[in-house]
Amino acid sequence: MSSAEKQAPGRSNAAAGEPEGVLVPRLQSAAFVLPVTFMVVFFALPVALTAVWSVFERTMFWMEPGFTLFAYENFFTSARLINFLASMYHSFISVVICLILGFPIAVFVRRRIPQVAQHRVVLLFILPFMVSEIIRIFALRPILQRNGLVNETLMNLGLISEPITAILYTPTGVVIGEVLSFLPFVVFSGFLAMEAVPKYIFEVCDDLGAGPYRTFKDVILPLAAPGIFAGSVFIFVNGIGVALLPNTLGGPGAVNAGLIATQAITALDFPLAMAVSAIMMGTLMLLLYIGHRLFNLTHILDPIS
Amino acid sequence: MRQQDFTRRTLMTMTGAAALAAGLPAGRAQAAGPLKLWTIGIAKVGAKDWSAMEKQAGIEIAYNAKSARADEAIQKMVVGDGNKLYDAMSDNGGGMEDALASQKVITELDVSRIPNWKNILPVYNEGGAAADTIRYEGKVVCVPYISNADSLAYNHSVIGSDLTSWEALFDSQFKGRAAMQNDFGPTLTNTAIYLKQSGQQDIEDPSNMTPAEVKGVCQFLIDKKKAGQFRTFWDGFQNGVDLLASEEVLVSSCWEPVQIVAGKKSGKDIRYGTMKEGHQTWNNMFMLTNGGKERGQEDAFYSLMNVYLSPWFGARTLSTFGFAPQMVGVNEYVEAHPQDFDAATKATIAERLANKQARYEVAGNSWQNVFPTHIRDYQDWWARVQAA
Repeated sequence: MSSAEKQAPGRSNAAAGEPEGVLVPRLQSAAFVLPVTFMVVFFALPVALTAVWSVFERTMFWMEPGFTLFAYENFFTSARLINFLASMYHSFISVVICLILGFPIAVFVRRRIPQVAQHRVVLLFILPFMVSEIIRIFALRPILQRNGLVNETLMNLGLISEPITAILYTPTGVVIGEVLSFLPFVVFSGFLAMEAVPKYIFEVCDDLGAGPYRTFKDVILPLAAPGIFAGSVFIFVNGIGVALLPNTLGGPGAVNAGLIATQAITALDFPLAMAVSAIMMGTLMLLLYIGHRLFNLTHILDPIS
Repeated sequence: MRQQDFTRRTLMTMTGAAALAAGLPAGRAQAAGPLKLWTIGIAKVGAKDWSAMEKQAGIEIAYNAKSARADEAIQKMVVGDGNKLYDAMSDNGGGMEDALASQKVITELDVSRIPNWKNILPVYNEGGAAADTIRYEGKVVCVPYISNADSLAYNHSVIGSDLTSWEALFDSQFKGRAAMQNDFGPTLTNTAIYLKQSGQQDIEDPSNMTPAEVKGVCQFLIDKKKAGQFRTFWDGFQNGVDLLASEEVLVSSCWEPVQIVAGKKSGKDIRYGTMKEGHQTWNNMFMLTNGGKERGQEDAFYSLMNVYLSPWFGARTLSTFGFAPQMVGVNEYVEAHPQDFDAATKATIAERLANKQARYEVAGNSWQNVFPTHIRDYQDWWARVQAA
């Protein structure tokens, strides 16, 4: 009732000939309320529920309210912890390789491509995303498998006599798949990060006689660090979360954190699945916090003045 | 589990068909509307959509795609509002029917309303494990429509001889060229059958192992994995096919449709053996939901079940997917309908029926168990196999 009364004067103002003066702020507040509601309903609430459910008691088909740390104890004292750490390790390797391959591309685009064409060149890296990820990942198999393209070529050239089997259905295969899938994200975030590095800085460095290595280490890297970190986190998260990669390219029973949770759900172990998800989120939040303390992530998109 | 990727592959056509069925003029629909069926794409034969099944049953079907994951059925039907959404559904026998009936999701069936019930395989009325899979507390709650005894697929073109023992899967001559399924249920059961029947380990019931037995089986797998025996564990239909067809692996414990499609795709002689130790047997069944009964869908349900127990369906699921028919009289039906089955199909049907009979007769067979008593030990030890 009271809110309706409060609105009443506003309406009369609008009727009196100031529609824009009222409408615009309302639209503006709606523009904020909508995403906030969305995030609360579809992000904050599920996150909170995940944490709550992870301490519930497992029943045969679902779970019942209670408080037990059994799921966490089970996670940390079973082989799941080893699997989880292994998936983090492989994901970390993928991040490093993506940076080594992707960041120079971002630097090159920023330095050498004419300003007007830069965004178009970066957009080229979106092209692979036009193809479904399942197909992109599956297509790696005829290339890397025992009698695949790589092995056939090397054998025809006489470089090897036996097919190399270490590049597929192994952790290496998973890392190759992760790099293929996530390299564009380093290019995007690297390019954005490089927007924080004004072009004249290259000239200044040249003028002052700094070589490419020093320019990179002492100038580009510190300036672009927040953006690089953001891209790295994105790849890392996907590396430990996307179940398709170890499922398609990994060895016998290869898993990542996402698959550990999925397999717990398949076995109707919902508290364990929730605990794995909560541990995943906790790990990532910790990483973000460390990153924030190191690089101050609020400065990612700050222009250099 | 096993039908997941079939469903994915055919999802597009299926969804189209369902939309079409749902969009039919109301005048043609029955009082209760089309039978809302929650099942897997391979539950139908005769056409790419459900039209042939609808014609045979004389009903309209609104198809809803389902995976075969136990958690999906439980979440939707026990926790969610599946009873409002679906009149009938399918799932694995030997566990799911008890789970769903105990939660009052599905209803008891009146088999006298299914004329073809008289054709059902005798094993379903003889007591024992098979009979249990369709009953809850002694009452029939399901109609089985496909089953199989899963076995070892092997590349006969390369190996040059027939394989009749699971030994091959763990034999060092196939080191790095062997695969199993990335699912602790079938993989631990098959391994347990082998270890028990070859006298290597004392296992009472491979379908429902004690924690110590689970440990023994998993330690065996861990040793084999560390020795490099397995190329990988396959997950999903296409994945399993690809491994065999590309000759990445020469032996694989897998579903029969995987072997059939891999053989067709590669042009190689990939065979499905009869293992002397035994096989994991399973079936898939249809159930009438309580919601479906309340909505007056019993007649439509029983009409459709009558089709599933007819040799018309049995012959076609056998020739298309390699699944075992659940009724007697398939060979006679095929003989009586020469216009529907050419010589090659007839030979395939006869051969597959004979092979299945041979597999079903092996004494060491064990039923699939969706919910083993010590499932926690299965899960935890499987994680160790993965980490090895």
